[in-house]
Amino acid sequence: MTLLAARLRAIPSWQITLGIALLVLGFLIAAQLAAEGPRIRYTTQERSPLVETALGLQSAQDTLKSRIVALRTALQEIEHQGAGSAAVVSGLNGRLEEARIAAGLIALTGTGIVLRFEDSTEPIAPGGNESDYLVGASDLRTVVALLWQTGAEAIAINGERVTGTTAIIDIGGSMLVNAAYIAGPYQVTALGPKDLFTRLSAAPGWEEFVRTRRGAFGIGVAWAEPESVDVPAYAGSVNLRASRAVPSPGPSASAGPGGSVP
Amino acid sequence: MKPAMRDRKSQLTIAAVACLLGLLVVVQLRGQAGGSALATKSPQDLTILVGNLNTENDRLRAQVTSLQNQLDELRADRANGATSVGQLESDLGRIRAWAGLDPIAGKGVTVQVSGEIDATAAVDLLNELRNAGAEAIAIEDIRLIARTTVSGVPGSLDIDGVLLRDPFVIRAIGTPETLVGSLTRAGGIVAQLSATNPAASVEVQPVDELMVLPATRRDLIPDHGHPRL
Repeated sequence: MTLLAARLRAIPSWQITLGIALLVLGFLIAAQLAAEGPRIRYTTQERSPLVETALGLQSAQDTLKSRIVALRTALQEIEHQGAGSAAVVSGLNGRLEEARIAAGLIALTGTGIVLRFEDSTEPIAPGGNESDYLVGASDLRTVVALLWQTGAEAIAINGERVTGTTAIIDIGGSMLVNAAYIAGPYQVTALGPKDLFTRLSAAPGWEEFVRTRRGAFGIGVAWAEPESVDVPAYAGSVNLRASRAVPSPGPSASAGPGGSVP
Repeated sequence: MKPAMRDRKSQLTIAAVACLLGLLVVVQLRGQAGGSALATKSPQDLTILVGNLNTENDRLRAQVTSLQNQLDELRADRANGATSVGQLESDLGRIRAWAGLDPIAGKGVTVQVSGEIDATAAVDLLNELRNAGAEAIAIEDIRLIARTTVSGVPGSLDIDGVLLRDPFVIRAIGTPETLVGSLTRAGGIVAQLSATNPAASVEVQPVDELMVLPATRRDLIPDHGHPRL
């Protein structure tokens, strides 16, 4: 024992330092290789150009959406200064404003809640399915449906306004909402009555969602009730390409046709 | 002299190792920071993503062109002192129809659902129709809007509180071939529903004549929010 202690004491300090450094180096190399593991399986010659293409298209989409919002704002401004019979134009502008609010084309502010969902950090149980530990499109569709049922009046997911044409789909652990690529954590902003969260948490569907997703798989679920929430405008297309408007019978029938049937 | 030289040699060795260590720490931290989540996607996922982004960007470009034309016409009318009522009415009609406030007409598909189906499956079916580009959807005579929800248990589903009969029919306006192709492709939503809801059957038919979907009866003006200035 004393011999071992003596030999240990005889090791120069620089060798001990070097030994520790090499140990850390080995650990880091192993960690790096482990992190690269799943990616290596996916690596193909075309993957990198595809990532570049996707990033470029997403950036172009953001620019186009900003342009659409700016054009709609400019249109609204010029419509409010419209020529023609003042009373007719004023009436039409009022109805246009209402239609745009109803359609989700105008950003809203008011009372509401913000929910946040994150992928689980728990280890996958033996024989478990990895996708159960990720926030999926079906989770967000469930939450959105529960929010509508409990009184929400406008909803956005990571800044994408939910409208009557919004699809929420999975794409390899992330999602497309309004065909925009979004990745976690997912933030769902809902405008509604002041007691929206009380109503939501009293809904059996919410209790089941929290129990099955957070309880069983560790999906991160958090919420906040700020003074007010902002829900952005829908910035996508409202062109009617395969359909045309049919004016309503009755007093609101003055709307003319829009779009065309090919 | 010798111990000093050995010290210098050891110092150089430690410096080299420390340098490599620092480099790896930076690489590791940058890797953990994630950069783009896209980097971990498979080529198949990336191909689907690129396809979706391309299609949506084409729609958005068409929308930009349409809005720009509208704006140019309005400005020209205004400069000429002409009336802009016609264009305002056209804009109003289009937005009201898109929002579900007015009826809408077009070609598309009918989807007849028979037997017991759960609410999640019905929601998935509607989601797929939207993803395939449906411009308007109605279940029986109820026009779908953002706030529409399907709930209940298999055999007694209700949509916005109205009980659905068996079978019930979904009508969707869009390009018939695209809608049919998207729903009925191998591994698509119809195949998935057949597997998860064996007691139900889903029949998809293209409609090449004009269908008219009704307007919603719901008030869509929010009571708890106002336009953000």
